[in-house]
Amino acid sequence: MLALSKTGITGMGIISSIGNDLAEFSAALQAGKSGIRKVPSVREPAVSVDIVADIQHFHFLGSLERLQDIPAEKLEQARRLGRRAPLTIQVSLIAALQAWHSARLFSDRPSPDRTGLIVAGQNSTQNYQYDIMPKFRKDPEYLSPRYALEFLETNQVGVLSELFDIKGEGFVVGGASATGNVGIIKGCQLIQLGLADVCLVMGVVADLSPMDIQGFVNIGAMGGKHYANEPEKACRPFDSAHEGFIYGQAGACVIIESAESARRRGVPLMATIMGSSLNLDANSSADPNINGETKAMLSALRQAGLSATDLGYINTHGSSSPLGDKTEAAAIGQVFGEHASRLWLNATKGLTGHCLYAAGLVEAIATVEQLRSGFLHGNKNLETPICTHLQFCGAAAVQHSTDIAMSNAFGFGGINTSIIFRREQDGEKL
Amino acid sequence: MEKEKIYSIVKDVILEVLPDLQPEKITIEKSLRELGANSIDRMEVVTLSMEALEMKLPLMSFAAVNNIEGLVEVLAEHYTERAAQ
Repeated sequence: MLALSKTGITGMGIISSIGNDLAEFSAALQAGKSGIRKVPSVREPAVSVDIVADIQHFHFLGSLERLQDIPAEKLEQARRLGRRAPLTIQVSLIAALQAWHSARLFSDRPSPDRTGLIVAGQNSTQNYQYDIMPKFRKDPEYLSPRYALEFLETNQVGVLSELFDIKGEGFVVGGASATGNVGIIKGCQLIQLGLADVCLVMGVVADLSPMDIQGFVNIGAMGGKHYANEPEKACRPFDSAHEGFIYGQAGACVIIESAESARRRGVPLMATIMGSSLNLDANSSADPNINGETKAMLSALRQAGLSATDLGYINTHGSSSPLGDKTEAAAIGQVFGEHASRLWLNATKGLTGHCLYAAGLVEAIATVEQLRSGFLHGNKNLETPICTHLQFCGAAAVQHSTDIAMSNAFGFGGINTSIIFRREQDGEKL
Repeated sequence: MEKEKIYSIVKDVILEVLPDLQPEKITIEKSLRELGANSIDRMEVVTLSMEALEMKLPLMSFAAVNNIEGLVEVLAEHYTERAAQ
């Protein structure tokens, strides 16, 4: 097997429904804080589900002011880039500044040419387009010339590369609900191929339009019907009363770096990325596949040089979708056999909702934070598990030290991903 | 509408597109480029000005414009024409 160079995470940043920086997010996981609530739509037409874990109280200029120890000229540059930009760009700027700072890249960084940028996001401008459509239909002449830049997903690439002076490879990846994991996997590969020393991976906020939300309702993927009046109970991964995902919003960013580069800079790895896997089911539909999911987990273990019993914890895809949860539970049973009953499982989506394109990054951050701080967050609404062969975390967080964890993400179109993280013994808590 | 009123509207638009600009820096003989507007900012000043005046002119109408005064004149000329119709 090809020996891959050691790669890890040196920085993280997040804006989410349960916290607007890493410390807040981590504390929210420990406290079991849920961001899911009822947000009656003020727009026409009203859509069928109004339960969402939305980013609340986000104010771009205020968020910039709260950032500390960031060079004044960078803050000024970010302000210029983001001031009149759509929400998705503003959130990315703040989360990326947090991550860049936490990786101590403002004081010492690899050259721009050795720095990569991956934007994990697709269709993130849907709501922006939906909002301006009525005006456009009336007066197309008045469409802002910025539209031609802003409707392209690569606007994120342009904006972030300008802010951080990134001149290596840069591009957008999409993988439906697995988009975030696809971004991390491609970032690792850039480093392992020797094309970059450090790579910023940005998971973009899913800013869904009412049409997108109704689409997810109509295909039967979105929950929130039975618990329409109890929004805090609506997201129930692996519970018998699960009925579909609850939409969440987050912008989440990680800095992936070769261990060699981190050592040279004197920056600790927050976690090592030991192995990862991405495969397709050859299926254009929305139904998950046990074999594809099994293959993703096995292949990630193989790449990491691990056997199933080495793993202590899985941050599941666990979206609260009846078929999705059932398929993942069966796949975990298939991969881990008897060890499955000793593995701890939780689902971050139970607290954050399903952050779609950013979900993989939100959950990578949740996984790394749990490894670093020695806890496992709870499964808030898991009352009657759908199966007995797995060991789910209880409703509340517990102190639990784990060394090796897996994070799963599976997307429409038969896209299966698994990533394995290892706690770094010498990784200091920043 | 007289030129002065159109200039006032255009000035507001310039400040919307370039919020860091000090208002006193704007004088009618200057070009948008001199004020720090890039090519997209300049296009945006044109479309936003037309929108503020509820006018729709082909962008070619502004091809020969090389300062704020030129822009104001094209807008004023067509605004008057429209009013006369």
